[in-house]
Amino acid sequence: MKAERKKKYISLYNVSKRECKNLVSRPIYLFCMVIAPLFCTFFFTTLMGSGLPTNLPIGAVDQDQTSVSRNLLRNLDAFQQIAITERFTDVAAARRSMQRGDIYGFFYIPHQTAKKAIAQKRPTISFYTNSSYLIAGSLLYRDMRTMSELTNGALARETLRAKGLTDDQIQSLLQPIVIDSHPINNPWLNYSVYLCNTLIPGVLMLLIFQITVYSIGVELKEKTSREWLRQGNNSIFISLWGKLLPHTIIFFIIGSFIDVYLYCYLKFPCESGLGPMIFATLFMILAAQSTGVVMIGTLPTLRLGLSFASLWGVVSFSISGFTYPVMAMDSWLQGIANLFPLRHYFLIYVDQALNGYPMIYSWNSYLALLIFIFLPFAVINRLKKAMLYYTYQP
Amino acid sequence: MTKKGKMKFSDIILQGMQDTLYIWKREFRLTVRDQGVLIFFILVPLLYPIIYALIYNNEVVRDVPVAVVDNSHSFKSREFLRHVDGTPDVKIISYSSNMEEARGLMRNKDAYGIIYIPSSFSKDIARMEQTHVSIFCDMSGLLYYKAILSACTEVSLDMNNDIKIERAGNTTDRQDEITRYPIKYQYIPMFNPQNGFASFLIPAVLILILQQTLLLGIGLSAGTARERNQFKDLVPINKHYNGTLRIVMGKGLSYFMVYAIVSVYILGVVPRIFSLNQIGLLHTLIMFIVPYLAACIFFAMTCSIFVRNRELCFLIFVFTSIPLLFISGISWPGAAIPPFWKAISYIFPSTFGINGFVRINNMGATLDEVRHESQVLWIQAGVYFITTCLVYRWQILNSRLHVLRKHREMKNKRLLDSREAVE
Repeated sequence: MKAERKKKYISLYNVSKRECKNLVSRPIYLFCMVIAPLFCTFFFTTLMGSGLPTNLPIGAVDQDQTSVSRNLLRNLDAFQQIAITERFTDVAAARRSMQRGDIYGFFYIPHQTAKKAIAQKRPTISFYTNSSYLIAGSLLYRDMRTMSELTNGALARETLRAKGLTDDQIQSLLQPIVIDSHPINNPWLNYSVYLCNTLIPGVLMLLIFQITVYSIGVELKEKTSREWLRQGNNSIFISLWGKLLPHTIIFFIIGSFIDVYLYCYLKFPCESGLGPMIFATLFMILAAQSTGVVMIGTLPTLRLGLSFASLWGVVSFSISGFTYPVMAMDSWLQGIANLFPLRHYFLIYVDQALNGYPMIYSWNSYLALLIFIFLPFAVINRLKKAMLYYTYQP
Repeated sequence: MTKKGKMKFSDIILQGMQDTLYIWKREFRLTVRDQGVLIFFILVPLLYPIIYALIYNNEVVRDVPVAVVDNSHSFKSREFLRHVDGTPDVKIISYSSNMEEARGLMRNKDAYGIIYIPSSFSKDIARMEQTHVSIFCDMSGLLYYKAILSACTEVSLDMNNDIKIERAGNTTDRQDEITRYPIKYQYIPMFNPQNGFASFLIPAVLILILQQTLLLGIGLSAGTARERNQFKDLVPINKHYNGTLRIVMGKGLSYFMVYAIVSVYILGVVPRIFSLNQIGLLHTLIMFIVPYLAACIFFAMTCSIFVRNRELCFLIFVFTSIPLLFISGISWPGAAIPPFWKAISYIFPSTFGINGFVRINNMGATLDEVRHESQVLWIQAGVYFITTCLVYRWQILNSRLHVLRKHREMKNKRLLDSREAVE
């Protein structure tokens, strides 16, 4: 009995050693397991390094040309996220500039605005944003609207002063109800925090799917799968374990590095502390590897398996709901979203790192990842059959 | 060689044309017969846009669930909350007795935000003092925050105006209006009036799909060509395949044919199915897409020399889609992209393809307004055409070298054999 167990360990070790040789001999592994994830980490965090875009170029159509309009535009320009880069004489020119992509929006102050306002004729000013660029559009909207409100306030103040009110009274008169917003744990509305925390694990997960499928599929393709199985004591279990264990270790090192980089170096909000996030990363990696095994197990052809992995990995980004909320999707898609491990990782991240809830609140996401981890049992026999009898068709 | 030198120029042209046509036909046949390439050229372009459009189909998030802590319990606070509940963005799911209870709802993901009204709310208003309503938002999605904040701001502005009017003691309606807003203002979101997510993201994804499937498909067929070739070379030994220009043109033409049709579906039919914005002029679109496809095809052909095995193209190219989408400046504004990444983005046709197409398709830009983009695409097409020729030239020389070497080996072997036989 003991000898039997020892033999198992030895074959596990042998398969792992064999796999390590594979990993070293093909540069694609280095590329996909180390270079690509680290590149993406670096890419996304530097691309959105400023957190919020600043000085978005906008245009101004000032036909009024009075101190009121100039004041308004000067104050608008002073907003951190806005820079008035161009001035136009009419709206058509501004629109063309928007179509050329030079500006993201423009402010329009028509003729005699100030004069009409003083004469109490209620002129209209307008602001236009290019909402094809959603983020830029909504940031501009916020500032331009604030500016319009402020201008109104300033003008109304004049009228009220004339009625004999004090400045304190006026202040509470102009804005009796104030909304204080508290964006929990991301008060800067930092886009990098909002996106990178899920984008980067998403890329890692996509690559894990692909590498898992590839490393198994290439054995089928190159007809080395029998030899692999023989080394694993003819047990699919030991063979798979031995093969994927080196991957797990490498991915875990990379994943932990990403966590440390995000939460310790870049100081992204991490209310739970680093430990739970590294734990979640380990769960995510195991779930992704298991999903990869399921993919090649159901479609035991390298090409089809990789197609499956790519499709699943890429759709993850959209369906996991970190940009566009799952609750806004159709109900059948909300169900399908659960089939993507990234969805569950995202929920864990929100609970742990962002909101700092106790781990018990994420039990269902962890359970879901656990189910993913045990999923390969369903396809293991099919995979073994493929390893023994499969012939590659290009 | 001398024989070729004596060939008339017109003959060379004629032969070149014939070879180009031959290669074009052969590549087309290979493409159609290769199941793997068909997946990329037909199936992915057919299905992917539909998956994306289905996910984002509802465009905006509605009825974000929020919990309310109303410590004021007054007529005014109830009015405020009723109005908030009445907006399309927010739905009040619970009136909690204290903040702890409301936080519990957030922890269980029953609510994505809390609106807190202080006990002094209506008293402050009556006393003509400012009062503060606090909102707390779950930041897992910015759209939740946006929905809750805009609903509350909207309602507070409306109520502020009513309060202002009450206090100003005006005598006529007209005066009320003027006190409310001495200057009216209006917001016009152009080119995507509902601020929808699909209208914003899908056009970019469509263009990116064209480039990525070309990279994958051409990479796959290059990998196949290498695997089938006995020397693992990209260019087969065949009398028609001797001339860089004809190989590159012949292959390029056959890909272009397939993608001309695919583009019609992706850029013409898909937006129509999901009734997305589509205000571009047809001839502008065609004039823009031609250089884009050319740039993509030659870019993909240049990249395809990195693909040594059939399936490697998946591993090399698929993950790049995500960074490429971001570097194009469609979601993260191009004006905020650091100069280094901006420079890198000039390598990829998708950067300019996406920007130009979004402007033509969503904003009705004419060719004049996307001149910069289309010029860069033409330049890219030219540059990548040259690089493709160079790498193919190199590959041809390689394969000739391999054949010569093999030939010499065989000769030596035969020589040895015959010597052995003599002995």
